[in-house]
Amino acid sequence: MKKSVSRFLLCVVLALACLTVAHADTSATAQLKAAAAAAPSTAALQQGDPGGTLTGTINDVPAADSKVGVTVADVANQVGQNKIGINFTWTLVCGFLVMFMQAGFAMVEAGLCRVKNANHTYMMNFTVYTCGLFAYWLIGFAIQMGGAAGNGNLGGLQTLNGEHVLSLFGVTWGLFGMKGLLLSGHTYDVGVMVIFLFQMVFMDTALTIVTGAAAERWKFLTFCVSSVLMGAFTYPLFANWAWGGGWLAQLGVNAGLGKGYSDFAGSGVVHAVGGLTALAVALIIGPRIGKFNRDGSGNAIIGHDISAVLIGCFILAFGWFGFNPGSTLGASAAGCLRIGSVAVNTMLAGCTGTFGAMLYMWAFKGKPDASMSANGLLAGLVAITAPSGFVNPTSSAIIGFIAGVLVCLSVSFIENKLKVDDPVGAISVHGACGLWGVLSVGLFADGKSNYGGSWNGVTGSVTGLFYGDASQLVAQLVGIATLVGFVFTFSFLLNWILDVVLGQRVSAASEIEGLDIPEMGQLGYPEFVFKPEPAFMLAAERVSVA
Amino acid sequence: MAANKQQGLWFGWFLAGLTAACAGLAGISGSLGKLALVLGLLALAASAVKFMAIKKLEGPIALGSQPAVMKIVGLAVTIAGWLVVLFGLHLSKAVGGRMVIAIVGLVISLIGPLAILPAACNKNAIWKA
Repeated sequence: MKKSVSRFLLCVVLALACLTVAHADTSATAQLKAAAAAAPSTAALQQGDPGGTLTGTINDVPAADSKVGVTVADVANQVGQNKIGINFTWTLVCGFLVMFMQAGFAMVEAGLCRVKNANHTYMMNFTVYTCGLFAYWLIGFAIQMGGAAGNGNLGGLQTLNGEHVLSLFGVTWGLFGMKGLLLSGHTYDVGVMVIFLFQMVFMDTALTIVTGAAAERWKFLTFCVSSVLMGAFTYPLFANWAWGGGWLAQLGVNAGLGKGYSDFAGSGVVHAVGGLTALAVALIIGPRIGKFNRDGSGNAIIGHDISAVLIGCFILAFGWFGFNPGSTLGASAAGCLRIGSVAVNTMLAGCTGTFGAMLYMWAFKGKPDASMSANGLLAGLVAITAPSGFVNPTSSAIIGFIAGVLVCLSVSFIENKLKVDDPVGAISVHGACGLWGVLSVGLFADGKSNYGGSWNGVTGSVTGLFYGDASQLVAQLVGIATLVGFVFTFSFLLNWILDVVLGQRVSAASEIEGLDIPEMGQLGYPEFVFKPEPAFMLAAERVSVA
Repeated sequence: MAANKQQGLWFGWFLAGLTAACAGLAGISGSLGKLALVLGLLALAASAVKFMAIKKLEGPIALGSQPAVMKIVGLAVTIAGWLVVLFGLHLSKAVGGRMVIAIVGLVISLIGPLAILPAACNKNAIWKA
């Protein structure tokens, strides 16, 4: 008897629930029909819509069945497509901004070089785009993102599901991706194209860093081959480990280290990889003729155009608004509204970085050196790149200021202690400050960010030592050790092999003449009258040729 | 020697070889893919051989010899520090212990690029002459 009563009651409850749902459904359908009826007519729209009150109504939602009209399912599909559309647009536009940074790099690097090498330096910055892009399309993207499926902001990217893993210590660690070679097969996909473009311009930024450190003596052929190989292997490998679902990102899930290695926009992935490769190449290729005297003291070899340097820096700072805020990979859902915070952090760190370098030079060397102030701006921007999505504005200002001072100290250390010639300060700006940026995540991340409730598969927000999670700092240290221990070594070996096979350096005669004619066949500024070289340079040139 | 036609030609071969090799990898399951991979690798090898041949035509460079053994030692130390970090993480579950291991490994790693390799690369630097 009791059983029958309970069954009867259950049936009543279910029937009521069905009626409620049916009513709600009918109500929603009725509301949609009412909205359609209230929508402005064609005749009304033909009168124009100066106030914008008539444009964008239910009539703009496509109906799957025109006889039935717009349904709840149609509206839901449109909402989903709007979210992805917003994110696609945001990511692409930010990618376009980052692409434009190549122009900034070209101006900064060429401006800091002598006029006799202007064409060669500009041409390296120009060609690195094509070399990197081509290599990345062939294989680099597959290695980096071939196993990066699961990004909800860009529609899931489910075709990128081929991560090669290694089982070690009872867990699996991602090593490299395998889907997306030549963007063929199932990776011919709208979402994959967006992430390809965005990641490609990041990769190209890393490649162009090296040209600065090796400027005025790098054989153009070897530069081309080196750039292709860096875009194909060096950069994508580390980028997979950090961003493509690889083992560094898994440090949180697999080893309990915070949220895993966290690098929001690439202080490590882009800048430290570029800066450490620049150090490797600069070591192999040696200093320019006349850079060092017999007693080891350095000579300042002045660049030819400080205006190009400063304008180039502004172009870079502008492009950085694509670099960092764009790294949310969207502007809708999953915490993407932090884009404003990321942008403000970026500009603040650039500001304090400039102050850090300018004040250091002014107070300790006597003048607010223009080229070092420019490097200070870049240093602040490089350093904030990794933490920009995880820290507050005050921390950003501190991180930027420290980077501005650090770049001055690092430039001096690299020239005077290591005896490494870096004409534009690329190793310091991108290498040293990139590593500082990675470290600063482990210190300053405030745990307030929320990108969909988790990061690298670990629930919660990235939180640094100063906000209570020391394990995040360990994850960042592992990332730094990997950059120094693996990326530098790999780059050094690769470029050492190239030195044996192709030769990294131009002949002494070409170097003295300037690389524009021997390597490019044309002067950058054919109507310039070259000033005679200073005495120390002429003496060094005589020794080099002898 | 500076830039010349030979360099351009063999850089083209290098790019063609890399393209064929990658296309071969993309279609490795089919016989055409395997053929493309082999042809690509052959083109890469041919370009490397030609690069070495024309390298000799470059005039003398302003760079002293860099002792290979010293460079290898520098690279070995650099990578050894990284391995200390990787495998040392599993020696301790405590955050403090792991942090000490990570810092020790990082310091070892830095000895390579900041001490041994600069010394190796500058050992016979021409500016010392």
